[in-house]
Amino acid sequence: MSQISRRQFLQGGTLFAGTLALTACGGGASEDTSAQGADETVADQSATTDGAAGYTTVEAGKLTCISNLFFPPFESMNEQTGDPEGFDIDVSKSLAEHMGLEVNWLPSQDFDTLVPTIKNGGKADVAIAGMTITDKRKEEVDMSDPYVDSNQSIVIKSGTDETAETLDDAEKVIAVQSGTTGQEWAQENLPQATIKPLSTVIEAMSGVQTGLYNAVVCDLPVSKYQIKTSYTDLEVIEEIPTGEQYGIAVSKDNPGLLEAINSALAAMESDGSMAAIEAEWFGSAL
Amino acid sequence: MGQTSRHGRGRFAVALCALACALTLLAPTAAFGLTTNKATARPNEDGGSSVIGGLPTRLTWEGTVDEGEEVSSVTLVLPEGSSFDGTTTKVTVLEGLSRAQLEGEVKPATQSLVVVFSKPATAGLLLRLEVEGVLFPSEGGDVVVRGTYVNQNGEQDLAESKPIATIANTPLQALLASLDANPVVEAWNSSPFLGMFFKPQLLVTAFATLIPGWLLCLLIVCIAYPFAIILGLIFALMKISRNRLIRAIAIIYVNVLRGTPLFLQIYIMFFGLPMMNINIDNNVLGVIVIAINASAYLAEIFRAGIESIPPGQYEAASSLGMGHMMTMVNIILPQTIRRVIPTVTSDFITSYKDTSLLSSVGVMELMMFAKNLTSVSGNMTPYVAAAIFYLIVTLPLIKGVTIIEKRMARSERGGGPRPKVKAKTAEGVTGDPAEKGAEPSLVEALSAPFRPATTDIAGMGGVADVQ
Repeated sequence: MSQISRRQFLQGGTLFAGTLALTACGGGASEDTSAQGADETVADQSATTDGAAGYTTVEAGKLTCISNLFFPPFESMNEQTGDPEGFDIDVSKSLAEHMGLEVNWLPSQDFDTLVPTIKNGGKADVAIAGMTITDKRKEEVDMSDPYVDSNQSIVIKSGTDETAETLDDAEKVIAVQSGTTGQEWAQENLPQATIKPLSTVIEAMSGVQTGLYNAVVCDLPVSKYQIKTSYTDLEVIEEIPTGEQYGIAVSKDNPGLLEAINSALAAMESDGSMAAIEAEWFGSAL
Repeated sequence: MGQTSRHGRGRFAVALCALACALTLLAPTAAFGLTTNKATARPNEDGGSSVIGGLPTRLTWEGTVDEGEEVSSVTLVLPEGSSFDGTTTKVTVLEGLSRAQLEGEVKPATQSLVVVFSKPATAGLLLRLEVEGVLFPSEGGDVVVRGTYVNQNGEQDLAESKPIATIANTPLQALLASLDANPVVEAWNSSPFLGMFFKPQLLVTAFATLIPGWLLCLLIVCIAYPFAIILGLIFALMKISRNRLIRAIAIIYVNVLRGTPLFLQIYIMFFGLPMMNINIDNNVLGVIVIAINASAYLAEIFRAGIESIPPGQYEAASSLGMGHMMTMVNIILPQTIRRVIPTVTSDFITSYKDTSLLSSVGVMELMMFAKNLTSVSGNMTPYVAAAIFYLIVTLPLIKGVTIIEKRMARSERGGGPRPKVKAKTAEGVTGDPAEKGAEPSLVEALSAPFRPATTDIAGMGGVADVQ
């Protein structure tokens, strides 16, 4: 009996090892093909649209975008249809228009997975996610020229009487969105407090509303918008001037695409389409 | 919007004034035309929150130009043993919250860093320098950023920053540095798959930093489970009660909890209770949610276990003059417990894994630590390390379940502790001769109690024998 079970175990083991090996190959292969193509779609597209433009896209003729879609007003999902909408979505549409592509938004994913996804390639071309240009991110991916300025903010529940000083305390819990510059700011400037990285700003704000966390550190435009539209019982207690700027993340393997995006951004700036999008989402003041 | 910002700026200005006053009081001889707001460093401990000396970090220095001053350059000086070599600096000049059109040219030397502005910075401007790649002294300690600046009157001293607390290089960090330098590790990491999922440096860091999270997971499930078993047993007994109301309550409880995702239950408990002003510690609440959720599944397992005991047992008990209660406690439940052990263990494994969902509401358990580490490293390896931590517990349990199931199946078939000769005869009766020597099938073992009485006789005999 025991002999048979050992043999069965060995068979199982071999099968498992084989699967692992296959997965490993798969992983390696998909990496290499992100540029050229085992996929038919990729092969197709390099022959057609993008040969002339000097870059390739994941899907022919389409600019495939990823983001965390819980970051209004930059990106959110329409309440009725569930389609992505927001400042960045309009930017992507205008960008695609200027580049002669169609825009294709993939489902929302966690913010901290965006840079690895773009780095690995094969799934999306760009991450447009209110993402600040930082040196650390630039080590992993290329960042486009800046398209929006932003700052940080500390948000608390109105009437809780917290300040930046009282929050820097071991008893206090600061919610942040995982992988954001807000998280970095909190870790660096509120070293005593407990930092809770969550997957969306919405979760963080709901938590502050219910008293689960003492404060949120997040991008100022987002906190202002959220307080105005949904979380009316929260307030910004400190506007932190960081002067950070958002950029679009592109894989380092795709310098042609980065170039095309930068020139499209410049064109949007000069033909007024960027100003129009800004006016729509932030009023005239930004 | 305007109001908030004015409000914020007002406070900010007050804070600045206070700070300036404090500084003036501290060092009455120097009048500062450039107020040092802060100097901080980004934590560079992998998975931790400390600033470690001797490893690259990012220094952020901020200063505000005071009334009537024009600052044309700033020099930052770090203590002995620090280095600005090979750093890149981002110079940001802000007026309120918007960026001012002012560039800075940066010249790093070993211990100092000079920033010359394209035009003099005027009063009210905030100068923000982010220096990436700074090395603090490797022995650790408090680091104070000093320096000078040049205004219209010449070179002036900068106010000292608040000290930045740094720690000495730890053995773990030293090990990581040696891994970084290893060419084999480098070759390994250059493979996209291996580097993304099995990066040795991150595996080491993750194993060290995930332990508290792992212990919390174990703690939560180990405290929750005894409660879940008691609750589950109560609801199982309620569910087979003859009273219709009690039965209805149990059915609702079990069906609602089994019919909704645990994720949702967690959200309701964690966000709902504080709204009703019920504030329970997060970890305790985690225990409660897991216990309640598991109890519903356990109730079903126990009920099925109790109902799987053949009616003959009840009849035999009553023929011996036992009451319903006595039959339950002395005859039925002991047999039930024996039968449900494998299923309960499987459910324990599920509950243990389900603690990962608590990370979404800020319980610092295994997944939370892994997520944290992934977000700072942009690499999937911490998740793999977390998987290993889960497997350390679940694999032995799974093995245990298999062993118990085999034994049970054998005893159900009339095998088990009987003498060998008899066991063979029993096998001859129930099993196909071709199957002789093969492992008992799990389906057969579990379905044994449900099969018609004719085939069940052998099984019942087995159970009775063990008793």
